[in-house]
Amino acid sequence: MGSITRKKTLAVLALSAMIGLLLLPVVAAIPALASGGEAPAAGGPPPDAAKKDGAESEKKVEKARDVYYKTEGIVSGAPAPKTTDGPKDYPRYNFESRVLLWFANQQHLYYGSFVLAVPIFCMVIEFMGVVSKDKAMAKKYDQLAYDFIKISLTAYSLTAILGGILIFTFLTLYPAFFGYLSSIFRPVMHIYALTFVAESGTLYIYYYGWDKMKEGLLKWLHLSMSVILNVIGTVLMFLANSWIGFMMSPAGVDEQGRYLGNIWHVIHTALWNPLNLHRILGNMAFGGGVVAAYAAYRFLSAKNDEERAHYDWMGYIAMSLGVAFLIPLPFAGYWLMREVYAYRQQMGITLMGGLLAWLFIIQATMIGILFLSTNYYLWQALGRMRGGERFQRYIKYFVFILVCGFLVFITPHTMVMTPAELKAMGGQQHPVLGNYGVMSAKNGGINVIITTTVLSFIWYQRGNRMPAVSWAKFGNIFMGVFFFFAYVNIIWLAIYGYFIPANVRVGLSVPQVATTLSTLFFMTALNLSMLKGAKQIGPIEWGKISVRSQYALIMLATAFTWMMGLMGYIRSSVRLFWHVNEIMRDNSPWAYTHTVGFAANMISANVLFFWISIMFVFWLGTLGAKKAPVEVKSPVPGRAPEPAVGH
Amino acid sequence: MTSLKLVEGFMPMQMLFELALCVALFALTSHLLSKSGKAMPRFWQGILFWVFIVSYLKWRVYPPIPFSVRAMYGFVSLIAVFMWVSSNEEDWKKFKQPIMNVLDANTGFHKALRTMFLIAIPIILWGFSYNSFLPNLDEPVELRTVHPAPPASTKVHGKTFVLQTSQNPFRVNPEGKYDQEYTNARIVEQSMGRLMKGDANPWDEKAEGYLKYVREGGEIFFQNCHFCHGDNLNGRGLHAFAFNPIPANFTDPGTIAQLQETFIFWRVSKGGIGLPNEGFPWASVMPPWEQHLTTDEIWKVVLFEYWHTGYYPRTWD
Repeated sequence: MGSITRKKTLAVLALSAMIGLLLLPVVAAIPALASGGEAPAAGGPPPDAAKKDGAESEKKVEKARDVYYKTEGIVSGAPAPKTTDGPKDYPRYNFESRVLLWFANQQHLYYGSFVLAVPIFCMVIEFMGVVSKDKAMAKKYDQLAYDFIKISLTAYSLTAILGGILIFTFLTLYPAFFGYLSSIFRPVMHIYALTFVAESGTLYIYYYGWDKMKEGLLKWLHLSMSVILNVIGTVLMFLANSWIGFMMSPAGVDEQGRYLGNIWHVIHTALWNPLNLHRILGNMAFGGGVVAAYAAYRFLSAKNDEERAHYDWMGYIAMSLGVAFLIPLPFAGYWLMREVYAYRQQMGITLMGGLLAWLFIIQATMIGILFLSTNYYLWQALGRMRGGERFQRYIKYFVFILVCGFLVFITPHTMVMTPAELKAMGGQQHPVLGNYGVMSAKNGGINVIITTTVLSFIWYQRGNRMPAVSWAKFGNIFMGVFFFFAYVNIIWLAIYGYFIPANVRVGLSVPQVATTLSTLFFMTALNLSMLKGAKQIGPIEWGKISVRSQYALIMLATAFTWMMGLMGYIRSSVRLFWHVNEIMRDNSPWAYTHTVGFAANMISANVLFFWISIMFVFWLGTLGAKKAPVEVKSPVPGRAPEPAVGH
Repeated sequence: MTSLKLVEGFMPMQMLFELALCVALFALTSHLLSKSGKAMPRFWQGILFWVFIVSYLKWRVYPPIPFSVRAMYGFVSLIAVFMWVSSNEEDWKKFKQPIMNVLDANTGFHKALRTMFLIAIPIILWGFSYNSFLPNLDEPVELRTVHPAPPASTKVHGKTFVLQTSQNPFRVNPEGKYDQEYTNARIVEQSMGRLMKGDANPWDEKAEGYLKYVREGGEIFFQNCHFCHGDNLNGRGLHAFAFNPIPANFTDPGTIAQLQETFIFWRVSKGGIGLPNEGFPWASVMPPWEQHLTTDEIWKVVLFEYWHTGYYPRTWD
């Protein structure tokens, strides 16, 4: 017994030392970060040159004003290069360089998002397993978390490879731009690289240590390692976000693009935080979608009921996690757009009212598809539990409410029409539908959709259960009234928005969102407390769900992927002909905005490539599992069906 | 249907309420029919409901909805019908049954139907192909950007105006200070029509300050702008239909109500010719009014347009 404790202690110490070593570079770099790092001098004079004589050095201390923070700083870098179209600044193959970079970037982002999201799921699911009192369920959760991380491991190396390809593409095709960007971010470039090393190391220990650390204190340690893994992953993403934030809304440099010595200003640009939040939520929703699609694929190709049961359950968990993060995503997007407008009105109008407005209609359509698919899945899932049928006859009304919200949400402000139709309509704006084309109505539309999704979820929770608490009747009435007034409030505010100034109208989104979120949090919580000790009508028969539901999951994942590609394109192309907005101009022949059709085709090609490659990753996972020695498992009495192992 | 008018000001919600009412009626009818043992097959329920939605959009809503939007609505409705009829296994089986029967049932009727489809489908495809080869004399569809992004600043009569920060110099309170709140309280009211407030009549001889400037803006508007933009500012002036597209309708919530005053100032000053690249294909004949009006006159016209339509200019605070 004593030797076991000693072994455990040693393991804990060894692990702590290892994590400490992994994090050491990051910790060591913090003082440099705090002091602003060394002056990044892209082509600037070497530091000792300035020491030649006092008078000369006095002259060299030049101050300039930060373009965003308006503070004064010592010029510590060269101005942004003024590029010209030619092999020096824009070397190329006989192909559009921008498209190549787009492809490399998008693929790296898809995989990056996936491998950043999956460890967060693992952390949540592993935690659920650890705290679960039901041993069989605990094991199921643990196995599921392991399955998740297993999928992400192959994807992780692909992410690194794609990251390498991306850097080579930058260096080969956009050397001047990449040189400038890396000179600005020089103080944190190595932190980024080292964070990557820390992430990889932690991930490998986390994965390979799974079996060794499956009980007691070691399990908690293993779980806490997932927290560290996610903290590192998040820092990694925030750093990557600071580059795109800088490109869109530069700060920390003067008008010529010269670095002013404060790296925090360069990182903490106007759009950095909204981008961070939006990306975390987006990654989670996307990761959930991909894992759900994986489960759906395995469900559809399952050979027996046991496998079907496991993958049905896995798909449900992944979908639930994805949707949990999808729900706040539109609100994070709203905040981002608000900050974009606050930063540059021009940028906001280009996005939502001007050149790129059509892409936002496509985006709205995709968001609608996501929510419709989610609802459809939940309704189908009612079919796998006895008692669920009592809700099914009301589904048609849900469909109607959802579709009304959806139609309002996707109605374009500027309609596509022939000149003859325009004359028949009597102007560019339709007097009835034109009202759906503005933000006030659209906010109402999306909030109605989300509230209905919450309602569908509450029904799903109740599928095979009847509340047995003494106050069940009162609870139901309260819930009904709450939802009724939530709808009334959302719709009323959408209408009221037409009669008030724009700045007040923008503020109206707050009570609308608050209404939606309160239905989500309060009503779900109320429902759960009503279901404590509920009367079971029948069991959940995992695996007995329609195949249509699995296609809905695949649809959900594809829509996520497509939308991510679309939004990335919109965010990037809003800079128009700037590499770094208003600082470094894009003088390549490709500084124009693609047509909507071309962009849509390009996004579809990226989506297709991602799905083909990730199918390969999934297949690799299956291959590895087949070769693994068969583990003999002792059956647990009365347990739920053992999830089929076979990745 | 003509006797049941869509009421101006209530049209968007009226349309949704009408549709909701129809859904309730359909549900009730279906319920009563099935209670009396004459339930309509799910297949025909789905098809008929979709046909109803498409017809409603085509014939009920006036002015006519452009085909692109109707196609979008129609497609979404089709998805909605699919979601409804396949929401549970039993319904889905019922819905599929007639289709499966056409495909493989061995009755005389179904055999005849199969033969009919075999003949009809190629003919329909041929019809589509034939139509697509016919020469089309319609003007091409233009995906116009109605609100192109404005420049950061604009130069009018030698003075540079930063669009993000400039203010209308005539939007002032009695003390002569820029005051949104004061002026917003004096614009016309939007309810059933647009009604002027009793104590805010720009044509009152005693009107001073903001209201006086509105009157002056109105005079300039009626001397120069109303021929195209109309005396109700709804884009239907005397000459409106000579142009394609017709002039902007300021009473629509999607035009000036969405924009900053400085945006309108920029558009009026520079006209169609001053539209940026993304405004392609520059289908606007509006003259650059800076060649005909002073800066003050342009600001006053903008002031009048907001007053008359009852909209507040967009602000960013």
